[in-house]
Amino acid sequence: MIRNETSLQQAKFVAEYAAHLMGCGIHTSRVIRNTKRIGEALNFDLKISVFQKSIILTILDNESQHTFSEVVEIPNLPISFKHNSELSALSWEAVDNQLNFEQIKEKYYQIISAPRMNALLLLLLVGLANASFCRLFKGDWLSMFIVFLATVAGFFVRTQLQKRKVNHYIIFIVSAFVASFCSSAALFFDTTSGIALATSVLYLIPGVPLINGIIDIVEGHTLTGISRLVNALLLIACLAIGLSFTLILFKGGLI
Amino acid sequence: MTIVLDILSDGFFAAIAAIGFGAISDPPKRSFKFIAILGAIGHACRFCLMNYFQVDITVASFVSALIIGMGSLWLGNRIYCPMTVIYIPALLPMIPGKFAYNTIFSQIMFLQNMHQPDLKAKYMEMFFSNGMVTFTVIFLLAIGATLPMFIFTKKAYSLTRRLFTRINP
Repeated sequence: MIRNETSLQQAKFVAEYAAHLMGCGIHTSRVIRNTKRIGEALNFDLKISVFQKSIILTILDNESQHTFSEVVEIPNLPISFKHNSELSALSWEAVDNQLNFEQIKEKYYQIISAPRMNALLLLLLVGLANASFCRLFKGDWLSMFIVFLATVAGFFVRTQLQKRKVNHYIIFIVSAFVASFCSSAALFFDTTSGIALATSVLYLIPGVPLINGIIDIVEGHTLTGISRLVNALLLIACLAIGLSFTLILFKGGLI
Repeated sequence: MTIVLDILSDGFFAAIAAIGFGAISDPPKRSFKFIAILGAIGHACRFCLMNYFQVDITVASFVSALIIGMGSLWLGNRIYCPMTVIYIPALLPMIPGKFAYNTIFSQIMFLQNMHQPDLKAKYMEMFFSNGMVTFTVIFLLAIGATLPMFIFTKKAYSLTRRLFTRINP
């Protein structure tokens, strides 16, 4: 009976681990592999089905031959490649070094509570990235500078709204509008203003879910793959709406 | 000489873009330099293929993504990162964002010009060509970078394994 209590706790932990991996933007086959490996370390046999909003796990305890069923909701977490690599490494470490449950749990919470990158540095990097994107589309130095400022403004608005837990479609519309509105300053100068306007919103393109979606589809997890692509598509549509406000205001036409 | 300079500057700015757009998704610190290197090589390769060899954007993207994928398999092993952690940020500068939102714009313009057949046809054509480029390029980027994972499956699946820390085999 005592063994059952701890097994239940461990099963719940495995489910949480899987949901966290799925929530922070890791492609489905990797989530399944890592979770099975963690299960192996805890002497479990796992069967997993992953949906877009929840994960269903059936866990067989090899020792007591009891089965547990867990359904977890996938949390809405910001994408984190750090969690991806560290939690994958944790699953290997757990198997190779035969860590016990307490050690795995401690390391898990250590990894997920590690701070993210400094917000100010991130703002600067995103601004520079979008400015150099403007350069790749053959914009000149003045356009690059305007795009840098516009991106910083747009990204700042985005992080502030995210902190206030505003609906993410509205966040995308507003921050696309702010970024393009700021970059429309380029229209008053003799510069490549069209390129500045067009590239100022590109930092919002949800590239990670787009690529993850295709990887999922190719690997046979069509359901989660399509749902990622559809979500990304909706975000791109919101971005286009935000940008269209500026274009109609200042250029009188979209294309 | 100007050609070399063009290629180098393209790679340089692509590297900054890869770092910045990657940073939003919070990659581990040790992966940044490899993201920059692969982002630069990939984008510069696509730039060369498209401008000097007249290759179209889809094939050029596929070849560059393949290079990035192979690089991420090789470098991921050194810093114990899964391939996707390195290659997704490196691919981000190559995502055709402009085509993506132009698809939506041509859709809006199509609906606005329903009663003018010539404009309607023009925007319909734009909708399909932009949408086609967006989808195909993103699809081929993902396939190209993932292909090494299908070929070297065993190695790709154990990149984060630190065998030297193993206590008792």
